[in-house]
Amino acid sequence: MGKEVIVEVKHIDKRFGSTIALNDVSIEVRRGEIQGLIGENGSGKSTVTSIISGMQKADGGQMFYQGEKWEPLSMLWALEKGIGMIVQENGTVPGISVAENIFLGETGRFKVFGKEGKKWGTVNRKEMMKEAQHALDTIGASHIRAEQPTASLDMQDRKLVEIVKIMIKNPEVLIVDETTTALSQIGRDIIYKIMNRMKEENKAVIFISHDLDEIMNVCDSLTVLRDGKIIITFSKEEFDEEQIKTSMIGREMQGDYYRGDYDGSCGDEVVLEVKDANLGDQLKNFNLQIHKGEIVGVGGLSHCGMHTLGKVLFGACKPQSGSVLVRGRELKGEADAMKEQIGYAAKDRDVESLCLNASIRDNIAVGGLDRFAVHNFLVLPGKEKKYVQKQIDDLSVKCAEMNQYVSALSGGNKQKVVFGKWIGRGSEILILDCPTRGVDIGVKQAMYQLMYRMKKEGKSIVIISEEMAELIGMADRLIVMKDGEIKKEFPRSESLSESDMIQYMI
Amino acid sequence: MKNSKIKKYIMNLTPLLGLAVLFAAFLILGTVQDINISYGLKSILSQSVVVAVVATGAIFIYTLGSFDISLGASTAVSALIGGIVYNKTESLLVMTLVCIGVAVLVGLFNSVLASVFNLPVFVTTIAMLSVLNALVLVLIKVNGTGSQIAVPAAAVRSLNNTTFKMVVLLIFVLLCIFVFSFTKIGRMQKFLGGNPVCAKLSGISEKKMAIIAFVMSGIGVGLGAFLSIVYAPTLTRNTASSVGMDVIIAIVFGGMPVSGGARSKIYAAVIGAFSMTLLSQIMVMFNLNSGIGQMVKAAIFILVVFLATSGQRGKMLPR
Repeated sequence: MGKEVIVEVKHIDKRFGSTIALNDVSIEVRRGEIQGLIGENGSGKSTVTSIISGMQKADGGQMFYQGEKWEPLSMLWALEKGIGMIVQENGTVPGISVAENIFLGETGRFKVFGKEGKKWGTVNRKEMMKEAQHALDTIGASHIRAEQPTASLDMQDRKLVEIVKIMIKNPEVLIVDETTTALSQIGRDIIYKIMNRMKEENKAVIFISHDLDEIMNVCDSLTVLRDGKIIITFSKEEFDEEQIKTSMIGREMQGDYYRGDYDGSCGDEVVLEVKDANLGDQLKNFNLQIHKGEIVGVGGLSHCGMHTLGKVLFGACKPQSGSVLVRGRELKGEADAMKEQIGYAAKDRDVESLCLNASIRDNIAVGGLDRFAVHNFLVLPGKEKKYVQKQIDDLSVKCAEMNQYVSALSGGNKQKVVFGKWIGRGSEILILDCPTRGVDIGVKQAMYQLMYRMKKEGKSIVIISEEMAELIGMADRLIVMKDGEIKKEFPRSESLSESDMIQYMI
Repeated sequence: MKNSKIKKYIMNLTPLLGLAVLFAAFLILGTVQDINISYGLKSILSQSVVVAVVATGAIFIYTLGSFDISLGASTAVSALIGGIVYNKTESLLVMTLVCIGVAVLVGLFNSVLASVFNLPVFVTTIAMLSVLNALVLVLIKVNGTGSQIAVPAAAVRSLNNTTFKMVVLLIFVLLCIFVFSFTKIGRMQKFLGGNPVCAKLSGISEKKMAIIAFVMSGIGVGLGAFLSIVYAPTLTRNTASSVGMDVIIAIVFGGMPVSGGARSKIYAAVIGAFSMTLLSQIMVMFNLNSGIGQMVKAAIFILVVFLATSGQRGKMLPR
């Protein structure tokens, strides 16, 4: 630990109303190191990094950057001074081009007429596009075109644009906040490359992830947070999976992480079926049957069509030809899917699965209006509260109260709200796109056990995921997609490995 | 008490506090200038009620994050057709139903048109504004004396009192609160306004909700048209001419979020309408002519929107 300290956080406190987010937190980040931060959802990881990066201010304590007092005025200010953060959720503006996002607030650099720093003048768009494309190429994201509208990109590519936006500033400290969970292996490799380059250049990285294997591979030291407090810091040689898990959740993990059995049997009844579906390059003559009491895992690279398949199965996307049948009847749309007890948790949680400017109550209740509304019309507050509270209790959503805005929750607790919305209404078929993205291991385990219980109750689940271990660990049947087609189908097996799947993905 | 909760309560109470301050200012100025305060208040209530009723219905449209610029013109057309029907039938009930029916039809037309052409509803309301303004002129020309359509004052005199108007307003506000807060429709409307993408993936039909919003707004417009006839039975091209803009200002004055969504509230329309009329009255007391008064209103409108959205901008700027 002889390396120079670049960022020092001393006795930081932060409260959100009655919730203590950080309690006397002190961290040292050293040059030439990748410092991991790990902890359960709501443990304070994102809060501490958001304070370092200038997104919000601490209530107490001090910070130092390169030996000087660090009181960032904003994220932009912090980035200019050398600390940049890639955030967990969307940080791009959809209505403008990729290049404009990359140079947001800095288009003055490309002025043809007018002095830089002055508001008037015209921008040399060609030059801006060229430089943006160069920046994209540099990190290995050449498939994204600088002139493309940002809204046309999927979540992974938007995240890559965000990374470019930070990296063109050449920061001394890079904070990566659960970014990798939104990325496929290709995207992850890009980030790992950037982090390792920074380490080689004697810069520093703070890396937050819930993927224990990933964080143990990538980081040089690892700090564990729990309930807003620093629990322990491990150096690389002290890394021990069980010990890290125990310090994260404050107890030893009991029972199976995934399901413990290798019995892939399920009911005979086909509850949901995709028949000869075609949809651009996302689905090509696609056929899939989902049985009662079956967990079907769908894996592949990010653009293979699996995320579109999720939408098609819920009726949110209509195939150009072919059909989707629910219990033998054609599915007409989202409302019809809900009537047929289908639930859908989208990958892009903050945009597609939650209304962030609404409360936990609103978000859970909207899924179950037909369950608790009297005569499917009248909403009695007492009944509604009881319904919502049950989901909050059953799923142990960490919140101050049900009227708290969802935007104030951690990633894992947001996902619990999404689960509550669909499970609460008694969904018989669940389509879960990246269900454990940004979720800590304790909650992940609880979610896996919940899925397994649901399977045993005869419910059907489709898990679409970029985490192969999750698919292998949970699915009765696993399909690998590539270019809108099923490349391989695996039955549940103890011997199935990630490498078996990878050869059909690439 | 937690800071965030106190802040939330204060934010929610600000429009009400604004109304209280304006009311206090009116009382003080009234006492100083020795005017009949009771009469003044009745006059304010009478003036506010049309805007309050129309704005209350319009909250449903604003909740979706949309707006309707043709509400004033729709009120005028509904009142004119209602007036023509009264002169033919001499039935106040039929007149009222026609006012509501016409306004609901206009609203439905707006929303269905938007749905057929897949346009944002406010776009169709802009087109509708021109059509309705032209219709006002045609109706007066064809069915009136050339410059007005007059309902006999005696027919509505008994209704032209503050109690009746307040009862109409109260019933409509209660109906809207019921639909907004105690039915599936209200919950869906607020959710849709908060995040249309997520609402769609939660089985909420945007088109259906837009149609319901425009129907509720239409009922408000129809009642506003009826109350306009009661207040001034001689209908001209100036009838309800300022209602459209006043409704927008009132809704914002009352603390309704401009983006709609979960924080939308029905009472914003009533508080806003009364605040605005009180403000106008106070400006009259200061001998400010109506031109200056309009400018002051506009300045306050911008100030309110600025204050209401400054929190959001603060959150966005660092990024």
